[in-house]
This record gives sequence, C-alpha cells and structure tokens, in this order.
Amino acid sequence: MSMKSFELRNPKSLGEAISLLDSNDKFHERTKILAGGQDLLTEMKEHIIEPEVVVNLKSIPGLNYIKFDPKTGLKIGALTHLADIAADKNVRQFFPALAIAAESVGSAQIRNMGTIGGNLCQRPRCWYYRNEHLVCLKKGGKNCLAASGENKYNAILGGGPSFIVHPSDTATALSALGATLTISGAKGTRTVPISKFFVLPRDNPRNENILLPNEVVTEISIPNAPRNARSVYFKFREQVSMDWAMSAVAVALELSGGKVTDCRIVLGGVAPTPWHVPDAEALLKGKAPTAEVLQQVAEKALEGAIPLNQNGYKVGLTKALVRRAVRYLTETATPPPYRDVNRM
Amino acid sequence: MSQAETKKTTWGPREEHTLINHHLRRLDAPEKVTGRAKYTHDVHLPGMLYGRVLTSPHASAKVTNLDTSAAEAMPGVKAVVKLYSDEKGLKYEGDPVAAVAATSPELADDALRAIKVTYEKLPHVVTPKDALRKDAPEVYKGGGKGNLRQSGSRGDLDEIKGIMAKCDVRVEGEYSTPIMHHVCLETHGVVVDYRGGDTATVWASTQGTHSVPEDAQKALGLKNRNAVTVLVDYMGGGFGSKFGLMLPGEIACKLSLIAKAPIKMMFTRHDEFVAAGNRSGCSVKLKLGANKDGKLVAMQSEVVRLGGLEQGAFAGLPYVYNVENVYSTAAALHTHQDGSVAMRAPGHVQASFVMEAAVDEMAAKLNIDPLEFRKMNLKDTAYHRQLDKGAEVIGWNRRPKKAGETPLVGAFKSCKRGMGCAVGTWGGGGYASCVVDTFIHSDGSIATQVGTQDLGTGTRTYIAAILAEEFGLPMSAVEVRIGSSKYGMSVPSGGSTTTASLAPAVKESTTLAKRLFFEKVAPMLGVKPENLTAKGGKIFVQGQPDKSLTWKQACKVLGRDNIAAQGKWNAELQGDGLHGVHFAEVEVDTETGAVQVIKMVGVQDCGLPLNRTAVESQMNGAMIQAIGYALLETNIPDPVTGNMVNANMDDYKVPQAFEIPEMIPVIDDGDTRNVVIGMAEPAIIPGAGAIANAVFNATGVRIKSLPITPDKILRGLERLKRS
Repeated sequence: MSMKSFELRNPKSLGEAISLLDSNDKFHERTKILAGGQDLLTEMKEHIIEPEVVVNLKSIPGLNYIKFDPKTGLKIGALTHLADIAADKNVRQFFPALAIAAESVGSAQIRNMGTIGGNLCQRPRCWYYRNEHLVCLKKGGKNCLAASGENKYNAILGGGPSFIVHPSDTATALSALGATLTISGAKGTRTVPISKFFVLPRDNPRNENILLPNEVVTEISIPNAPRNARSVYFKFREQVSMDWAMSAVAVALELSGGKVTDCRIVLGGVAPTPWHVPDAEALLKGKAPTAEVLQQVAEKALEGAIPLNQNGYKVGLTKALVRRAVRYLTETATPPPYRDVNRM
Repeated sequence: MSQAETKKTTWGPREEHTLINHHLRRLDAPEKVTGRAKYTHDVHLPGMLYGRVLTSPHASAKVTNLDTSAAEAMPGVKAVVKLYSDEKGLKYEGDPVAAVAATSPELADDALRAIKVTYEKLPHVVTPKDALRKDAPEVYKGGGKGNLRQSGSRGDLDEIKGIMAKCDVRVEGEYSTPIMHHVCLETHGVVVDYRGGDTATVWASTQGTHSVPEDAQKALGLKNRNAVTVLVDYMGGGFGSKFGLMLPGEIACKLSLIAKAPIKMMFTRHDEFVAAGNRSGCSVKLKLGANKDGKLVAMQSEVVRLGGLEQGAFAGLPYVYNVENVYSTAAALHTHQDGSVAMRAPGHVQASFVMEAAVDEMAAKLNIDPLEFRKMNLKDTAYHRQLDKGAEVIGWNRRPKKAGETPLVGAFKSCKRGMGCAVGTWGGGGYASCVVDTFIHSDGSIATQVGTQDLGTGTRTYIAAILAEEFGLPMSAVEVRIGSSKYGMSVPSGGSTTTASLAPAVKESTTLAKRLFFEKVAPMLGVKPENLTAKGGKIFVQGQPDKSLTWKQACKVLGRDNIAAQGKWNAELQGDGLHGVHFAEVEVDTETGAVQVIKMVGVQDCGLPLNRTAVESQMNGAMIQAIGYALLETNIPDPVTGNMVNANMDDYKVPQAFEIPEMIPVIDDGDTRNVVIGMAEPAIIPGAGAIANAVFNATGVRIKSLPITPDKILRGLERLKRS
C-alpha cells in the first residue's frame, strides 16, 4: 500500500520543527508530526490522512530519555520507545502501571518502534474512522457512524456526538499516575496535567487533545508520589495475544493500616478520553477495601454509563476490572511484582 | 507373465514399514524456515509489472462514469483494464471495477487512485435480518422471489410434529455461525509470464497445479493447455479457497495481453477479505425429541445457509446421529456479500456445531453424561472407541457433573472450568486421475514426479517416504518433483482427496519401478526377480543377505538404459469414511466473560497414516483454526453502510500464541484399515462444538451463536442469574 507523495522534513531543533508545522491547519491534516510512525504511517498507507508535509522529530537530538530522581520524579522524553519504558528498572519499581501499560501495547515490533509521545497522540481505532471510504464525524462528516452502527467496541461514557474510545494504554496509566505533559509551541513551552490534555468530542469532535497544529509534546513527567509505586494497569483484551483494550483500568493507591489512604482510578477503553472517576475514589479513600466497599466503588465508577446497543457488556466488565485492580493492589502488604495481569 | 506381475499391490503389513506410519520430518522444512522456499509472492522476473485491482467500496452500486485516462497517462503504467459492465453491475464490496499494471507496486497503487469512478449507490442487504425483510432489495432479480431460495425438504412435517409431541423430552433452539475467512498466509495471486507468442508460464498460489493451465490458456487465447506451464513450488495455504486461475489470475492475464510483459498480481490483505471468498455462515432452527431412556427419536430443522452471492454449504442434519424421524428444510439466503467458497470441511463445521450443541443440551436435560448420551445415539462403533480414548486422554471424569457447579478458580477466584466433546465425519476417499512417474538412472539417482502440489499437508514428504521405503533407501537418497503442470496429472487438493487419489498412484509407480529394476538386477545375482529384496541401501537375495549389491552397484546394471515406471490410481489402496472427535477443556472468567481453552484433544482416524508427524500437525492446525472459529473470527457486516467493518488483520481476530492451549493430537490406531484416506479437513469439524459445550459445562450458559465472545458470555450469565 503506497502513500500519497509528501515532503519529509528533518529539522535539527524543536524550534525548527515547530516552524515547519502549519499553525492554521486546524484539523492537523496538512502538516503531521512523525515520531515512531506506528500510527501515522498506517493512517497514511490507508489514506485516512494525506499530509503534504511530514515533520520528523527523530532528527532532533535529546528527546529520547528516561530520568528518575526520587525528589523530582520521572521524566520521559516524548520520543522514548515503549519497549524501553516497559523495561526500565525505575519505571517498573516506582510506576508499575506505566510499565504494564507500555508492555501491553501491540506487538514487540510496535513497542520497539512506537514512542510514548506517539502513543498519547494516536488517532482513534474506530473502524468507521479507519475506513478510507467512509466520512465519519471524526473526518468532518455529519454523523458518528458507530452511534447506530457496529458499536461493540465504542464508548459507554463521555460519548456524543462521537463515540470513539481513546486507544492509548499509556494515557490511562499516566492519568492514574498524575502525569504532566510538557508541550512546546511557537509561543514557548507550557505544562499541562494529563487530565487537561485530552478533550471530549462534545468540546472538539475532530481532535482528541488540546494540541495546537504547531505544538509538540516533548516530555512526560510523573511525580514520585507514594501511591504511584503501588499501581497497576488492567487491560482486558478480546484477543489476548495482541489487541486494543476492550476495557481497562489503571489504579494507583496508598495503603496504611489496612486502609486506602490515597488513590486514583482511571478507566480506559470505555470513553473518548481516559476516564477519571474521583467520586469512586472518594468512596475508597479512608476505607478498608472490603468486598462491599469494592462493589460500591465499582458501581460509582460506572455511574452515568450510557451504553450503545452493542456495548452494554462493558459496564459489568469494567466494574469487575475496577474491583480486581484494587484487590490486586491491596491484598498483599508489599507492592505486587510487575506482571501483565491480563495474561495471568 | 511373471509371478510379480500378477501380485496385487498392497501397502504391506503395518509392522514392516520403515518410513510410512512413522514420524517423519517435513522434507522442505529447512527451506521454509530459512526463507529459501520461493512462493509465488517471492517470484521476481526481469521486466515484471505489478498488478492491482480497484474494487467496489459499496455493497450494491452501479458505475455511472469510469474514467481511466489519468491512470493510463501516468509514466510507468503499462496496462489498464476496465472490469465493470452495466450487465454485471456491482453486487458486493470487493467486486472488481478496474485493474492496472505498473513498473512498481507503489505506482500501481497510485494509478488505481488516479482512476475516477462515479458510483450510484443502490439499496443493499448484508445481514440475514435485512435480507429477509419484506421490502428488501433483491440480490438476484427473480420476480419478487425475495432473497430466500428454498433448496429442498425431506420428511412429513405433520407426522414429525405428532411424534415430537409424544417425546418425553424436547429441546429447541436457534443456532448461528458467522461468515469466516480463510486468512491464508499467502494471499491469492499469480505471476503470469506472457510476452506475446505461443506459450506462457504461470506461477500460482493454488491448490490445484493442473487446475490452472486450461483457465490460463483460455484467458490468454493460446492453443491448448500445454501452451501454459504452471509452477507451484510452494504455496502459502488455501483451506479450500484456491482452485483454478481465480480472479487475480484472470485479471493478470488480461493485463499481460495488453502489456506483453510478466505481471505479478497478488491480492492485498483487504482484497483477500472482501474478494477471495469465505466460509458460509448459517442460521438454523432445530428441535430434538428424545425418550427418557436416552434415545433420540425425532428432529425438526430449518436450515438457512448464508453464502452471500453464493449458495453456502451445510451438511445434512441430524448429521452423524441416528434419528429415525426427521423433517428438515434447507434454503440459501442471499446478501450483497462476496460469495462463499469451500473452506476446510464445508458444511460439516456448521452442521457439527449446531447438532452437537442441541445433542449436548438434550443430554443435560436428561441428566445423562453427554459422552454416554452420544454413544447411545451413534451407531458407528468407531465413534465409541474414539470418545473413550479422548475421554481418557483429557481426563473426562474431572469435569463438573452438573453444568456450572464447579469451584471458582484463578487469581481472582472468578473462573469456572468445564469440558465438552463433539463428533465429526468426512469422506476422504480418492478417484482416478493421478499419473505418477518414477525414474532410476545408472548413477543411482531415483526420482518420483507428479504434477501435484503441497499446500502444507506434506505431500512432498510422503511421496519421498513411499519411494524410499520401496527401495530400502533413506529419504535423503530420493528425489521428489512436484508443482509443475509439465509433470503427470494430479487432482486438485479439495475435499481431502489428494492422499487417497495420489498415494495409490505413487505406490503403483514405485512398485512397478522396483519390479522392472529387479528384472534387470536379478541376473547379476543369478536369481529370479521375485527373490530379491531392497533394504538398508542394498539389494539382496531373500534368505541370503550376503548375496547382495549396494544400491549404486545395482544401478550400474542399467548402463545407458534407465527405468521409467508409470503408476495410476488403484482403488484398493485407498478408502473412504472418516470419524473424529474433539474434547476441549475451557476456563471461563465469569466476571469478564473471557474464555480460555486450556486443553484440547483430537482423535482422528485415517486408515494407514503415511506420516504421523504430518497427521498430528494437521490435527494441531485444525484445533487452532477451530479455536478461531469458536471464539474470535467473524466477518462483521455493517447493515447501514454495507461494508465489512473488520476487513483487516487488526479487527478480524485470529488465534495467536496466547490463544493456543495444550493440544494433544491422537491418531486413532484402532482403525486398522490398510488403506490411505485424507484427513486434513475432518480434523477441524468437531472443534467449535467441543469448545461451546465445554463453555456450557463450565458455566451453565449455552451460547448458540459463534463466535463465543466475552459480551455473549456476560449477557448469558446475566440471563442465567435472572432465571
């Protein structure tokens, strides 16, 4: 499958890269950023997008690193490969949810090429969006074709007018870990908490995040909070060997005297963005995670879910994952060893 | 006439085989694992052009404007053909519209995109529900006959209804199977080397080397089939979908007639999903009646085959079971989808799943062990033997005696384990067609050649085994030539007929070659030919092992002459009629709906196994394909857009490493028929039924539609809780 011809630019600096991006390209169609290429190149080969200019970030030095300092936490360059994150000793010890999420992405080949920045900024997997011949809402059409179509894998929370689910595993994990993103643009650098990075389709039906057409995510930063060392990412796949999340849950929590003193719970694969559930967290904080409490937390986490005609199963499935993730993190005194729990 | 001539050819006593019925390594394994094996996909010829086909993005449409001028004007584009006609219209997503040939694959792709097509979308139906609607558009204009075409019935409905009413116990259900895809590793395609002139060479990814020459000759307008040489050194899987020149081949020939250059035309993976055929689905209403003592008495069924534009396949019900009173109807329901083609045991996989689910349910309702219940209703004792064997191997007594009543296991104490079994049958016999030649030369070289193909089943290896065993030589000392239409005729590999059609002809050829060879060698040792034996690399006089010649010494007697021996089919060396059973153990996560197959056992007869490793590999492969069918694979048509939404390897899910359980293939050595029978297809038949029944045994939830995905399990558990 061949792509439409385009101009490949290899900037030497971030500033140069940003200058090459078209600030008026509202839907990010004409100028695109290339990192690991695992999503972008597929989209181009399938002619979902046909950009005129591709700006290759790999020609810019210094964007591929993992730095850990107990005081300042973890800093990851946006061009760091998922495989390196999954294998990193500090990530595995102090931020296991991220290591598990990175390890759960695609295949070994994809993790070797794919980057954390690209994983966060990838486009939806909805099969209507991915069909070249269909013009869905995400591509400027009038309707979300999944809303009344084949929607088994679509959103049960936060949907409308588009019902995509965000495909990024690391986004869910990083949300639970309270990450901050550094974004560089024409006017300089800004940092935003990941909870403010993703946007719902009701606010912006065409783009999944706040990035301006000439902005680049350059760094992911995670505080070394005690709860992050006791964290997990549960990803349920229909095809266990390699699949997107049918539903996923990331939980980070602190345990003291048998009680959960602090926690963050974020759902994945069920909404157009990572779905943070503070009300459910509130029910868990200060309590021992008994079966009864877990049931209440799970119910609260899925409050407001509005399934489409084929995805009602996601409600029960996600509740089960919420209960499981908390159990997994609280049933042993020390943080459990790194493990992809979907393949137990 | 010498004594040897009158002697009937047999496979000989089982205990005397030195290669046949042993575990043999696949001859071409090193080539395949190192990448040296050249498939059609790997063929590169000087000046070769790349073909691509533009297919309809709509399920039903007509083309109001087809402008290829921009594509034709592109430098490097050497041929463009229009494949659309108003008479034909466009009846499925994937229906060809036009094709191009260019100097690179990328250029061919660009040229396709330069073709301007204006489609007028027409109303479509791509789901059974839509196809049955009163106001549904007709796929085949038939004067208001609709899309459901009855194809027959048997039995007397009123009589059966009466008998059914008197049965002690009845079960009733609606079952369905999806349209499945072959997902051959090598997509469909050919390289056609025709540069004008009288002859052509075609490399084809095909299940029938000799099924291609006539098609290609006609497509190229050449004199006769001999004008075309078809080469099939290696082919990357077919499962029933690759016979004849096929769509990519037909298009390649059209392009080569214009370009007068070699054309490589391989389907893309998307083409493969929408235009290379599929396994038909089904939708079946089935009612069974039995007596308290466990005897099936009556059956009433309504079968609808879902074959898209084609008829689809479904084996007759009550399938293998012994039911005296039967009323059944069958029909094909047409949709605007690519037509079904044969796929590994066509009709049987569907019928086995449906029947086995109902039989299993009846056993549960009667509170009889499902294995015993099967034996009570299966006449053929081969099944009894196999069911007992499979039960022993999997540990049938470990299963929950009552469905769903089993301790919760797993890391979260949320999983239930259960077991199921199912049964299948197949023919597997052969027919007269193959012509096999064996040659021996004075330098000791020995070769058997025939224009067959090895579609992964190990044909090449067992030909070598038959030949080497005949002459007491190691397999490395013999040569096998296959995969060319210039060699003797051979059957296409469909219906598991290859072994039973080919191996007898190979045996006849090697037997004759040995007789002719012994006639030459005997005078050197001063004995009659019938007193000679070939074993351990030597030719010696029976009872006098010191009176011997090495193979090389013996061959020298040929001088400038050689041995050429032709063999044809011998019905006595092959058989028909196969039995197989599958057992599956599954673990179902009752909170997430995940089904994991933990262990699978297959028991299969095949008469005399030619290569035990190959037979076991076929069984393993079949079990994996059955897991895909049972748990993952389905063509998902969107009724609104008419598109198959999952026509890619991301959304169409096939089993990979984590889906594959411990598998135990058991060759049924209780089958003592001394004949060869093809077994590659039957090995898949009972798989989905066994898995579905295991899911029921584990959870008490009966899923009647494949694939059994987590959403269906969760909904089923929810229903069970409410009831």
